[in-house]
Amino acid sequence: MLRYLIRRVLGVPFLLLGVASVAFILSQSTKGDPLSALVPERMMNNPEIVQAVEAQWGLDKPLPVRYVVYMKNLVQGDMGTSFNTRRPVARDIAERLPATLELVVAAMIVGTTLGMAIGLLSARFRHSIFDNAARGFALLGSSLPIFWSGLIMLYIFSVQLKWTPGTGRLDARTQAPEGVTGFYTVDALLAGNGGLFIEALSHLALPALVLGWSVIGIVARLVRSSLLDALGQDYVRTARAKGASDRVVLINHALRNALIPVLTVLGFTFAYLITGAVLTEAIFSWPGIGSYAVSAARSLDYPAIGGVTIVGATAFLLANLVTDIAYAWANPRIKVSG
Amino acid sequence: MNTTSSFKTTARRRGTALLFGTTSALMFGSAVAAQDTLVVGRSMDVNSLDPSRAFCDTCQIYLTAVYEPLITLGADNKTLEPKLAASWEHNENFTEFTFNLNPEAVFSDGSPVEASDVVWTFERLRNLKGSPSFLMDGTQSIEAVDAHTVKVTVDAPNSEFLNKVSAPYTGILNTEAAMAGGALADETAATADGAEGWFLENSVGSGPFVLVNYAPEDELRLSRNDSYYGTAPAFAEVVITQMQDSVIQAQALETGSVDIAMQIDADTAKSLDTPDVVTEIIPSFNFVYFAFMPGSTAMKDKLTPQVREALTYAVDYDGMIEFTVGGNGNKIAAPIPNGFPGTQNLEPRAQDVEKAKSMLAEAGMDSGLEMVAVYPNDNVYGVDLNVMMQKLQQDFAQVGVEVTLKPVTYPVWREEMAAGTADLTAVYYAPDYYGSGQYAAYFGMTEGSTWVSRAGYQSPETVLNEKEGEIYAQALAASGEEAAAKYEELGRELMADNVIIPLVSPNLVLAHRADIDGVRYSACCNLPLAEISRK
Repeated sequence: MLRYLIRRVLGVPFLLLGVASVAFILSQSTKGDPLSALVPERMMNNPEIVQAVEAQWGLDKPLPVRYVVYMKNLVQGDMGTSFNTRRPVARDIAERLPATLELVVAAMIVGTTLGMAIGLLSARFRHSIFDNAARGFALLGSSLPIFWSGLIMLYIFSVQLKWTPGTGRLDARTQAPEGVTGFYTVDALLAGNGGLFIEALSHLALPALVLGWSVIGIVARLVRSSLLDALGQDYVRTARAKGASDRVVLINHALRNALIPVLTVLGFTFAYLITGAVLTEAIFSWPGIGSYAVSAARSLDYPAIGGVTIVGATAFLLANLVTDIAYAWANPRIKVSG
Repeated sequence: MNTTSSFKTTARRRGTALLFGTTSALMFGSAVAAQDTLVVGRSMDVNSLDPSRAFCDTCQIYLTAVYEPLITLGADNKTLEPKLAASWEHNENFTEFTFNLNPEAVFSDGSPVEASDVVWTFERLRNLKGSPSFLMDGTQSIEAVDAHTVKVTVDAPNSEFLNKVSAPYTGILNTEAAMAGGALADETAATADGAEGWFLENSVGSGPFVLVNYAPEDELRLSRNDSYYGTAPAFAEVVITQMQDSVIQAQALETGSVDIAMQIDADTAKSLDTPDVVTEIIPSFNFVYFAFMPGSTAMKDKLTPQVREALTYAVDYDGMIEFTVGGNGNKIAAPIPNGFPGTQNLEPRAQDVEKAKSMLAEAGMDSGLEMVAVYPNDNVYGVDLNVMMQKLQQDFAQVGVEVTLKPVTYPVWREEMAAGTADLTAVYYAPDYYGSGQYAAYFGMTEGSTWVSRAGYQSPETVLNEKEGEIYAQALAASGEEAAAKYEELGRELMADNVIIPLVSPNLVLAHRADIDGVRYSACCNLPLAEISRK
């Protein structure tokens, strides 16, 4: 197992370099004027300004030269400077990634906990009113567009009921806590500021619920169908014949086996949400990596596109690795060979 | 609902309100403590915080708060007023301008603002070849006559030079501090200046605020400049917070999360039915237009002046305003905003479908014409360019012209513009300063102008109108009413070109909490933050 893990981890940097190369070539081959984020529309016909900007950003050099410079810098940890923000991409990502991770982790906790509970109870009380209602709720979560559910929930809970604060990670009047982890909830606790922790948590609640709702739908349906499948297996029948209680059969026997497909989906959902939470980020003015990715793509911000691609690829590679490990935990019959 | 249930519901609501009110008081204790913070909700478009490189609407707000130009634009959006320069004069033919600096003016570090700072700033603006460098076009010499007097000489009469130096991009920098941050002003500046990143974290101006923090697409935080030599701003802190969408801005305004929301469209504003919020709909100086590209590969010899004129009669200008902004906008005649010099007597175009048809028939186009419209797939100033072009497509269809719409991303649009493959396009314009000259320079069909090379592409003769260059030069050599008359003449020529066809000048919604005072729209500076206070 350890050898397998080491081999997988050692391969990650090479995979990432490959991904970065593909991202570089694809983005630079994409149709569009790369100066669009650097030279305003009114100046784009001014050759003096265009030349000065091209020289400043190295865009006057041929593609192979730019590629060599980019890869050379990348292996030294320099992802370049964003055309949009004019700051190092690594810094942008370091500031934005914790915001997204905090949101995604919270959404995954909401989605997984409620999704598993709903799925489990739906399977246990199959075809009951609860099952039908829960399936409807889960279906809504999967099918409602986030831009709609987000706006509606903001209107209900923030504007009308005033139960939750507005958008953003904190109230705009509040200073962010000293950055240790970048998770405002955790940093507020580390700073011993309970008020700030509650404020950060209350700002996190609604976006996490909106994003988590889509996860609830996925998890609940999967847990329900996997459990129903497992409950029809011989080993469950054997357990029942041995006199095991319903709870023991459901939790100890069926659920553990039913978790394997759920773990796969959870791993990839987590990885997907790292760069895919863009709508939630836009609606809740959440300064995360998703909105950064969209801005980068819209303006052909090559360095930022490269940086975000590396982050996304890393998330998927790690998710894959963690899922494989979780498989082995969930089902001891699955062995990894070193 | 009966009385009992109503009472129960009310009691339950009160209980909930009490519970959450207590929680909110606990949660938002820090917010209550920071009452003198002004929060502005805005979709930020910052492309730089370096005054000599920045060029955007949010930049105008920031630069006005943190830096000061020599002259500024008064609240009437017409009159030039002193800022760093206490007074100024010019020679008779507008080629020499002398500025006498306010001796009391100091930068945020307490050092005096001197003529050498003005010279250095203007030279840097010119040599950096940044987006706003055109404001220094034609400057022959910039000299410090003494510690508080600056003389600028330009190579040709330019009565708009004073307007140009009222633009926030000409804000004066503390030379010593900027140089310490890597800024250069000499002729190597375009390639060797390394201060752009530094300006994202530092401000070196003499304005009423200083930069505290900038997090791209998140927040721009300013605090009061304690060394400010003028009237101190009412707010100790200003936060511009990122809010992407009009509806989200409106909700934030309603809940009090923000004090001012800057991009609420008129439709959304109608939903703000609360006494805690004030909304005012005012005309703006922004406009959205479509443009013919007679030099495009496909349109050469087809989009003749006569055909272009005919097609302008096909457009339903009133319907366009209804269709795009629900009636919350104004027609505009020439590509110069209503209210700018020379626009007073210009009559906006009107639809005449029969005339359009007969003119097209005369031009031999009665069998129809096919065009491709390439435009950015964006919503600007509340106008969805897709919606606008769909309406144009319908209008042109009435006269037998088939338009294929091709909405593209902004970078792709830029590439298509450079390639000359579009026959029609749609763009927008917001003023950089108060003055009609910028429109002559940009939209004028004169040799080397932006729109000659864009609309004319490889056949500039299809759009050239050298008369406009002559009128523009005459306008720059005149002032007051005489200059306005020349700009009017220029406006008529721009209309007769039938290349740039303004469609709508969308209204602006000034939306703020009822306890906020002093919110206004400025043609040069967008939102002057230092004038805002809490009642």
